[in-house]
Amino acid sequence: MKVTFPHMGYAYIAIEALLSGLGHEPITPPPGTRNTLELGTRYSPEEACLPFKTILGNMLEGIELGADGVLMLGGWGPCRLGYYGEIQRIILLDLGKQVEFVTLEVPEGGLPKALGLARRILGPTDVKELWLGCRLAWAKMNAIDELENLALKVRPREKDHGATSCLLAREFQRLRGAATIKDIRAIHQETGQGLLDLVDRRKPPTGMRIGVLGEIYTVVEPFVNLRLEERLGYLGVEVVRTISLPKWVEEHIFQNAFGFYTRRELLRSAAGYLSGFIGGHGLESIARSVDLAQGSVDGIIHIFPLACMPEVVAQGILPQISQDKDVPILSLVVDEHAGEAGFQTRLEAFVDLLQRRVRVCQ
Amino acid sequence: MDGACLAIKSYVGHALYLAQQGVSLLFAPQVISISHKEYTCPSLLGLPDLLRQYVPPSTEIFAPVLDARKGERALALCYRRLGKTFAPGSIVRQAWNQAHKAQLAWEQSLWLPNDNSQELKVLLIGPRYLTDDPFLSGNIIDRLEGLGMRVYTAAQVRGGRMSPQSRTAGKRLFWSNARQSVGALEHFVDQVNGVVNLAPFGCGAESFVVALVERRARNQGLPSLTVNLDEHTSTLGMMTRLEAFCDLLERKESG
Repeated sequence: MKVTFPHMGYAYIAIEALLSGLGHEPITPPPGTRNTLELGTRYSPEEACLPFKTILGNMLEGIELGADGVLMLGGWGPCRLGYYGEIQRIILLDLGKQVEFVTLEVPEGGLPKALGLARRILGPTDVKELWLGCRLAWAKMNAIDELENLALKVRPREKDHGATSCLLAREFQRLRGAATIKDIRAIHQETGQGLLDLVDRRKPPTGMRIGVLGEIYTVVEPFVNLRLEERLGYLGVEVVRTISLPKWVEEHIFQNAFGFYTRRELLRSAAGYLSGFIGGHGLESIARSVDLAQGSVDGIIHIFPLACMPEVVAQGILPQISQDKDVPILSLVVDEHAGEAGFQTRLEAFVDLLQRRVRVCQ
Repeated sequence: MDGACLAIKSYVGHALYLAQQGVSLLFAPQVISISHKEYTCPSLLGLPDLLRQYVPPSTEIFAPVLDARKGERALALCYRRLGKTFAPGSIVRQAWNQAHKAQLAWEQSLWLPNDNSQELKVLLIGPRYLTDDPFLSGNIIDRLEGLGMRVYTAAQVRGGRMSPQSRTAGKRLFWSNARQSVGALEHFVDQVNGVVNLAPFGCGAESFVVALVERRARNQGLPSLTVNLDEHTSTLGMMTRLEAFCDLLERKESG
């Protein structure tokens, strides 16, 4: 089966490896563009959130490239993501697209349903290939995550404007083609060194650190957050990530599926502000803000799609944390009408404010 | 809070009013779930915590957890635990039994006997806090009845007859309000002449319900109208839309 899937940052490199291991041919949709958004918006329910629309756009572009299967994540609430797959399946059906729609989730109905789902996911493959595919996917995802984190530190001090992103994009394409764990390690090491060489030693570190948190898709997908991390990097800010894809996959997919996942640590951090799970990343946003505020960040940016229910609750609580912990928090809402210039202006103003604050404090 | 839905805004408004009256303990339960394996919605899950940001510290918020995800029995246990903070167990049990009976009787009184009246029938669906609230819904039930319509709602469906997994949706809906809306449409789909769907602006679950309901109605050849409600909704604009919708239904019926 030729399988397409939605984008989420550089996750496509790992998903490609996984799908090949499963015995399918991965069809990676083109990276998000205006066209993706227009396609998605045209066929989505009017008030669906931005991730829904871009994901639908990705699927439609993937199907245009010849895919006959679609892979999507699911869930059982209370966040809307759990129902994305079903609505998207119906939309594709009504559009007359003949595709096999597979939603990855813990199915209801016990073992028989789970086996049924496994049979649909598995293509013509053998155990050895499958194992290699899984290992490659995991190694690639981890390598990308580590390199991106390193890039966040390098970008504010790079010699040539944009060199870090250029290097990353080039090396990730090499990583995409890597077929053995050894190759992945070599590329990882080379790229790490390459990134460090980009640092301009004469530039003093600005010391400005901003934590980014919010709804995971808007945090991770650069097309949706208008390349937030890069923009902050060019403003001389080191971005502190609170969300990492490998960790998310480990916790929310593996541990959750087998019932090992606990939110004890998050609940402890969020105590006094939020008493329980509210779906999506609402609890994470609150807990991580408290953690970051106690750490060494100068400010926090909270980003989420318009009308995202859990994050709206978090947005209502964040001002209190900002006041209690004395840390500025900027909430950014994105939807299909988000304009780059307005976005940039707000970021610049926020960074200016933080710089002035630091100077006054000194 | 600019992103919150109409229900949350009115809830916070009510709470602030009560706080101004000098209330010292405010009952604002954290309603996680009212039905097996379902959620209310993320906004309601975080509502007591949200309220704490707005209500002055002189008003204490009493927020017991009501959670029926594990079934009716778990919910009953939540209520009893809540009662025990105020009274001894025997009184609580008695009160619970009385309350349970009264609630059942009220729900049963809403169930609809089969009627064969000649009036045009409209199904009104949407979250219960909108359809049942004359202020938030702009008195929509009275207005529709004033236009000569007979109004059906989700509350009139006999509890057991609401199929959780209807033909409208292939996957079980995990929001109670959404499931009730879709289930009510499925129940009444052959009996009504039109569907009116009330949706608060910015509600995540509703954005999908609208898609499901409109699709089902379209496939059935049933006219449907979606009314988005927020604090800027004008009753006049809504009235015009309702009148136009009813005219359309009448014309369709008379051929």
